[in-house]
Amino acid sequence: MADRPDNRGMIRRFWDWFWGPTAVLSVGFTLIAGFLAGIFFWGGFHWSVELTNTEEFCVSCHTMETNLGEYRETIHYNNHSGVRAICSDCHVPHEWSHKIKAKIMAVKDVYHEMVGTINTPEKYEEHRLQMASAVWRKMKASDSRECRNCHNFDYMDFTLQEVRAASEHQRAIDSDMTCIDCHQGIAHRLPPSYLEEYEKVLEALSMTPSSRRLAAADHEATQFYLRSRSE
Amino acid sequence: MLEIFGTIGGNALGLPGLLGVALGMMTRHIWLAALMGGLVGIVETFLFAGWQFANLEMLELVVAIVVGVLAGCVGCVIRLKGASV
Ligand code: HEC
Ligand code: HEC
Ligand code: HEC
Ligand code: HEC
Repeated sequence: MADRPDNRGMIRRFWDWFWGPTAVLSVGFTLIAGFLAGIFFWGGFHWSVELTNTEEFCVSCHTMETNLGEYRETIHYNNHSGVRAICSDCHVPHEWSHKIKAKIMAVKDVYHEMVGTINTPEKYEEHRLQMASAVWRKMKASDSRECRNCHNFDYMDFTLQEVRAASEHQRAIDSDMTCIDCHQGIAHRLPPSYLEEYEKVLEALSMTPSSRRLAAADHEATQFYLRSRSE
Repeated sequence: MLEIFGTIGGNALGLPGLLGVALGMMTRHIWLAALMGGLVGIVETFLFAGWQFANLEMLELVVAIVVGVLAGCVGCVIRLKGASV
């Protein structure tokens, strides 16, 4: 390509034109045009990212329909207050840079869709524990950030909660536990032996020195809770 | 690997990348541009960690600083190439 003289000439001329001073445009014109182009570009970009946050988009891959079906039976789909949590509310962060990160990492979803990692119900169930484990890892590491976009211990009236919920939540605050430590399977069916897998996630995370916040959490309390539930 | 790519992308399209280029375009000194970009990276990471050391992720901090420094340099090169002052 590069050795075709006419072609190189064109790129060269564009390059020189691009960096040359404007002879016909005022500074104001260039600035306003650039400003408007920026608004349109950013708005369009943001809008496209939001489109990939809809339930329709997630379920456009039929492999995600298993999760859709299960989630439709749960409280986050239908409840007495009429507030719905959709896929992206639990799986996609709100903060801009975390959101972009999640979207880039989801490129692997497209790859696995193409090679058919989970394209039959059997394959799906075989793979579920591994996928759930990836989600737990993210949620534990972010202190269940997505849940906390809607829920917050501070806004809970413990006197209105069931006794067991209130006492467990008090314990969670005391020992720095996070929602996903106790609420696995809140929207989807849990694979067998999920408790063992969750313990592995905890262990793997407490090994990483970077996650200092996790080090502050009381792992024994969490493990005690998990064991008491599996009995 | 995916995690690192994602973090880089998030920072390039976030404060360190955008503000880094903008600040870099304000100077003809590449070291100053790099410094300002790096500072944005640090400030952003702290901002999102709620100003608490305990919430800081090392990987995110390093990536944010590197992206910020690079963005600052790109901005500075744009200034050198595209402006005569
Ligand atoms: C291109 C088709 C496709 C689309 C669109 C899609 N997914 Fe997936 N998703 C997959 C496949 C295939 C996997 C299995 C990937 C793997 O094994 O890591 C997967 C895995 C997952 C996982 C578990 C693994 C992990 O790393 O988190 C979650 C959670 C998930 N998807 C949520 C979503 C949500 C939320 C949306 C909408 C924003 C969505 N998906 C859109 C195909 C898709
Ligand atoms: C979009 C906001 C939103 C998000 C995000 C969200 N929830 Fe909810 N959650 C709700 C609403 C609304 C209800 C139902 C309240 C009602 O009407 O009782 C609910 C109910 C619940 C309940 C009560 C279940 C029951 O059977 O009574 C639990 C537990 C819960 N959520 C946990 C979680 C966890 C864990 C996460 C993160 C994975 C999460 N929520 C994310 C909005 C949300
Ligand atoms: C120590 C374990 C534990 C932790 C951590 C925990 N919960 Fe719970 N939660 C429970 C138990 C146990 C219940 C009652 C049984 C149930 O509904 O599963 C409950 C119930 C709830 C309910 C229903 C309350 C009611 O009375 O209707 C909501 C909503 C809820 N949890 C949200 C959360 C959120 C959000 C977080 C994180 C900020 C969280 N929980 C963290 C153990 C926990
Ligand atoms: C209330 C929060 C919530 C909502 C809404 C939600 N999920 Fe999930 N999702 C979770 C949690 C928590 C996990 C981790 C596994 C578990 O605990 O069940 C998970 C796990 C997954 C997985 C991994 C495989 C598995 O079954 O565990 C996939 C894929 C997934 N979700 C896709 C979706 C899709 C698609 C939607 C929308 C139709 C959706 N989720 C809606 C909370 C949610």
